[in-house]
Amino acid sequence: MKKAECLAMILAGGQGSRLGVLTKSVAKPAVPFGGKYRIIDFTLSNCIHSGIYTVGVLTQYQPLELNTYIGSGHPWDLNRNSGGVYVLPPYQSAEKGEWYKGTANAIYQNIEFVDKFNPKYVVILSGDHIYKMDYAKMVEYHKEKNADATIAVIEVPWEEASRFGIMTADENGKIVEFAEKPKEPKSNLASMGVYVFTWEVLKKYLQNDEKDPQSSNDFGKNIIPTMLGNGENMCAYAFEGYWKDVGTVQSLWEANMDILADPPAFDLHDNNWKIYSRNPVKPPHYIAKGASVTNCCVTEGCNVMGSVKHSILFEGVTVEKGAVVEDSIVFPGSIIREGAIVKKAVIGEEAVIGKGAVIGDENTDSSKYSSPYCTGGISLIGGGVTVSENEKIGVNSMVVEPGQKGEN
Amino acid sequence: MKDMMGIIMADNSELRLNELTEFRSVPALPFGGRYRLVDFILSNMVNSGIINVGVATSINYSSLMDHLGSGAPWDLNRKIYGLFMLPPYVRGGVSDISAGSVDQLYGVLTFLRRSRQQYVLLASGRTVCNMTFDAALSQHIEKGADITVIYHDKKEKDEQLSHSTVYEVNEDGRVTGIETEPHFPKTTLQGMGMFIIGRLKLIELIEDAYARGSHDFVRDLLRNAVNTLNVFGYEYKGFVGTVDSVRSYFEVNMKMLDADVRKEIFGAENRIYTKVKDQVPTQYKETSQISDSLIADGCVIEGKVENSIIFRGVHIAKGAVVKNSIVMQNSVIEENCDIENTIIDKECTLRASKRLVGQPNYPVILPKRTLL
Repeated sequence: MKKAECLAMILAGGQGSRLGVLTKSVAKPAVPFGGKYRIIDFTLSNCIHSGIYTVGVLTQYQPLELNTYIGSGHPWDLNRNSGGVYVLPPYQSAEKGEWYKGTANAIYQNIEFVDKFNPKYVVILSGDHIYKMDYAKMVEYHKEKNADATIAVIEVPWEEASRFGIMTADENGKIVEFAEKPKEPKSNLASMGVYVFTWEVLKKYLQNDEKDPQSSNDFGKNIIPTMLGNGENMCAYAFEGYWKDVGTVQSLWEANMDILADPPAFDLHDNNWKIYSRNPVKPPHYIAKGASVTNCCVTEGCNVMGSVKHSILFEGVTVEKGAVVEDSIVFPGSIIREGAIVKKAVIGEEAVIGKGAVIGDENTDSSKYSSPYCTGGISLIGGGVTVSENEKIGVNSMVVEPGQKGEN
Repeated sequence: MKDMMGIIMADNSELRLNELTEFRSVPALPFGGRYRLVDFILSNMVNSGIINVGVATSINYSSLMDHLGSGAPWDLNRKIYGLFMLPPYVRGGVSDISAGSVDQLYGVLTFLRRSRQQYVLLASGRTVCNMTFDAALSQHIEKGADITVIYHDKKEKDEQLSHSTVYEVNEDGRVTGIETEPHFPKTTLQGMGMFIIGRLKLIELIEDAYARGSHDFVRDLLRNAVNTLNVFGYEYKGFVGTVDSVRSYFEVNMKMLDADVRKEIFGAENRIYTKVKDQVPTQYKETSQISDSLIADGCVIEGKVENSIIFRGVHIAKGAVVKNSIVMQNSVIEENCDIENTIIDKECTLRASKRLVGQPNYPVILPKRTLL
């Protein structure tokens, strides 16, 4: 097999439980985003734009949808004779078979896969971040610094720093300290979960880490600190630009709204860095007489007869006459019936909001469907849920099934 | 339908489309916001289970080739059969380029001989409909037909009928008369430019017609066949839009704003496939006002759009009004423009405050890449 200088491994096995009902039946990377994408499209598109043509996608939690979505990889030009995209679920081997115990273990279990391509460098990525990044530049930096590991970092607001893995680097960009979610952060450079490793070095650490029964086999908790402790050459690569971890309902909602800002905080209209996705086979969207659509993103197959304001409609959404959608994200195939009102909500795929129903109603007691996952006044309606006529659902609600409290 | 193959005849012989076909063949005409005309016949073929399709081109076929590519959007990028581009064949320095459909077919004889399907669906690629050919083929076999022509009943004698092929069909379904571009058509049965013929029969007919110096498939070959062969008609009863003039191009596009037509064409289980462009969703700004319009992905809309069809990647700036018009891919309409009854071809730019107004039955055309 032809030697690839660089290979990417995308960690896409996590459940993303903080997304509540949105990840009930799909893994987080398969959650829809931005009108026609899935979260993993951003990472896959970054790979192809960075000239990385060999990509392993490590799946575990609810992989069916993700597997089908990735398919042969042709939407991202990753259907290739040499390289291409490979979905890598955990497997049974002669000695044993086990689930991926942690992020590092997931790569460990696929050492053979990586070795087949015999790459000099491996880029480890998360399948659940929204950003546009040229990994090739980072690999160049890694080479220049003759590093064993390079970690992409981004400046975050000081008050949020304790939510992230925080790096402290010296003036040459060499990492001197790493703290996972520190109470008192010494720096505001957060790890983006984007790593470049020299494969030979990483392989050794993965093998040693596996032998340690105390280890949780995680990059952030184990591999990085151990490498740092052993004095390996580890560098921080500063990334500037938009980057968002969409791990919670609120951050997912915010990141979607960032697209709608004028000018957009995150610009998808970039012909030199298109985000590729599996495109639906749907006609252009139709906006009827009497409809109103302002500050919105609308995609193919939608039918809008009502009023849509500051919202994102995915493919094939219907907004009937007199219905109002505001500050919301409506996933593919959902129907907002006549006169229904949807405010600051995320509506799952193929959901139906009945005639005259109200989602995100400030005057309704929200305890019925309250959920720890829904904060900031955002409501969440699960995929396939039908909200009955004239039903009122309060703010911060999560409806998994009608009448069932939103605990997923 | 493993036993039928398809041949799409991509000709440019349509003078009534003016500037629209100056740089492209008729099947390559952009349609309905994100399609090209060829998408309909190609999707219909694929949805009927046809896996072997040849596209016979004449001149200016680069936009068609660019659009069809390897055939992947139609699942025609196959090892076994798939999509074949059949450019004009040049024999001893004499090309078929300006000759008729018989000459064009003569050029694809090798493709016909190499294929193994028993039947051929010959189609023009200018008809907008969502149909499959199973029933037509069954009828063809059942009747023992040599040629089956597919037609629909226009119900009224209009201008378009006078530049179409019009059939007379008796109660058995046998075609008894053919008129091409009749001034006073005898019936309202308009041909859809689709024919089912046995593959070997087609080879035989083309060789024969070519040897006699005939050029046109319908005028020469088919009209002759009515008297000598079993020619039957198959009536299609769904929506049919035939694009053969600027006016019909405009009208058939506008028909897509009709909810029932749109549902039949795009909402059916059988999909209409087209080349994927990976455009972002369309962005509507604070000032946008939209009514009764079909809008594709990748647009930025700040102005007013009414009763129009907007293709992918169009920008309509603040204060601009687009009414009863078609705006093709990547065109830019700057601030305070006023557009009505107009067809704006691809990649045009209208600088601020331009006014362009046509008549509903005679739209103005702004040719490709015009800067106004």
